[in-house]
Amino acid sequence: MNKRRFVAKRETAWRRFEQLLDRLDTISLRRFSPAETAEFSRLFRELCYDLSLIRSRDWGQGLVSYLNDLVSRGHNAFYSSPPGNLGHLVRFLAVGFPRLFRKNIGYFLAAAAIFFGTLGVSWAVVQHDPALASRIIPPQQLQMMEEMYGENGPLGKGHKHPTDDSDDELGDLSDFGQQRALMAGFYVQHNAGIALDCFGRGILFGLGTVYTLIENGIALGAISGYLIAHGHSSRFLSFVISHGSFELVAIAVAGGAGLMLGNALIHPGQRTRLESLRVRGLEAIQIACGAAAMLMVAALIEAFWSPSPDIPNFVKYAGGALLWVVVFVYLSTAGRWERES
Amino acid sequence: MLSGMSSGNPQPGRSLRVSTDLVIETPENVVLTYRLAGPAARLLAYTVDFFLRAALLSVMYRLVGLGFAAGLGGISLGMLLLMMFFIDWAYYGISEGFFRGKTIGKHVFGLRVIQEEGYPITLWGALLRNIVRAADSLPLYVIFPFYGAGFITMLAAGRFRRLGDLVARTAVIEERRVSVPREPIILEKIEPLPRTDLGGYVPSGQTLALIEQFLGRRHVLTYRRGHAMAYILARALAKKLAYAGDPQLVDRYPMAFLARVYATFFQVHEDDDAEDAAQGKAGAAGRPRPALAGAAP
Repeated sequence: MNKRRFVAKRETAWRRFEQLLDRLDTISLRRFSPAETAEFSRLFRELCYDLSLIRSRDWGQGLVSYLNDLVSRGHNAFYSSPPGNLGHLVRFLAVGFPRLFRKNIGYFLAAAAIFFGTLGVSWAVVQHDPALASRIIPPQQLQMMEEMYGENGPLGKGHKHPTDDSDDELGDLSDFGQQRALMAGFYVQHNAGIALDCFGRGILFGLGTVYTLIENGIALGAISGYLIAHGHSSRFLSFVISHGSFELVAIAVAGGAGLMLGNALIHPGQRTRLESLRVRGLEAIQIACGAAAMLMVAALIEAFWSPSPDIPNFVKYAGGALLWVVVFVYLSTAGRWERES
Repeated sequence: MLSGMSSGNPQPGRSLRVSTDLVIETPENVVLTYRLAGPAARLLAYTVDFFLRAALLSVMYRLVGLGFAAGLGGISLGMLLLMMFFIDWAYYGISEGFFRGKTIGKHVFGLRVIQEEGYPITLWGALLRNIVRAADSLPLYVIFPFYGAGFITMLAAGRFRRLGDLVARTAVIEERRVSVPREPIILEKIEPLPRTDLGGYVPSGQTLALIEQFLGRRHVLTYRRGHAMAYILARALAKKLAYAGDPQLVDRYPMAFLARVYATFFQVHEDDDAEDAAQGKAGAAGRPRPALAGAAP
């Protein structure tokens, strides 16, 4: 078979395959009619054969790279994984995530020890000597915090609902519902960002994760200690207890996932470092995404339930305690009774 | 770049130190080579994505202004922050996960993320490689993240993999859009060498393919350099062919000589083939025919 004749003979098939590939750029393989799918699969195998034939004959780089390009595009389209859907997401949150979490509970415990440990220490220290807080948190921010949780803050009894002075520049922001929606967005953006940062930086041998955990632990502890030392304890605690369940635990969960990445590099076991990173990385990312989902729940609670001035404190404490139980039960039992599929 | 010229058959698993090719073997037992995308192309794609995200945010920002006017300031501001989160953390992961390894910037520059084994990227892989961006983009943010860690790993780990690629086992490739190569030589215009000037030697099909490739790419060389390179092959061929014609042709215009050799023997191979066909031996010994009906495995 001569090259020229071979090309002449096969060119129509190649062009047809190219057409199908161009169509696949705009629609998915599932939308192909059965006949088209069959044709695609047949042409794909034919082209594979053409490519090896041309390679073995050494018929020129131009032709080889042309076919190589076609076959690789076909390969990519042919073997693409089925796209996920909402059902997958629900199943992941109900079964997959808690299972993976329990499988790797040790990392979570380590991250929790680091996070809650530093949080507790800095809380205790600052509560004992509130002047230290300004060394950790910028004074303006402390000022802001104090206003927020103070007697006249939005959580305080003496707080006037400022709907009447709506001529301030933020106008409708003073409306409770509006303000809450704003805060929900903020909490998602801020907290989930921290958690994912905390996870992603674990690749630096876990140091990035440890740093982020300690940094946030110290800051949160200092603020808590400072506010309680200044006598805002009831407003502050009733505010944080509910969403703290999901939020603080989720940060430790994301930290645990980050430590998984780090440990995969430090203790690769029988695998090479890269291989171990890949195997454990795929589990770690799922745990981190689960943590991000938990933080979205936390953001909703933090925005709409925690700051509500109409809910009496004891209800908040009870609800908060219930939420801690919910988090514990969710992480420790969800997916336990479902059979392996 | 070096491997671009090599015509030898690539071996999967053999990693050449100096190569921008990723070689994989498919389940069809075909070896595919991908060209890896280097930092420069990826930076360009990143820049496009960056400005796109910025544009998206500024549109959202305008909408917030409208929201305030409509008395929904809080909700629209909340939505803006939510969008900021998703644009920061999910833009890459979602688009690579759902659009077969492409973001818009990557699409513009013909890049695609695939798994190192050649399979398309999965959603989890896409999310993973893009959340690790947080580490890759360290250190330094001055408007634009500098990707110090990512750049260093790219150089150190080989195959231009940043940390995210190492974790998710992915590679970024350049997709070439090549069209069927045209015949570089207009055979009708080239006179075959007179048979009387030639001995009995017939150059192999591979030699002819080499000549064809060389002539097809001659425009990338200067006239002098092209002739100088062609001279090496032309002299060797002239010797083997026992060429008895004008020696000036070989010495001064080796490219023309090669073209004429090609024109001469191309016909010979065609004739061979025609004879094969005439004898009706479909699978002449040791010569596999291309499968036309999907008989390939």
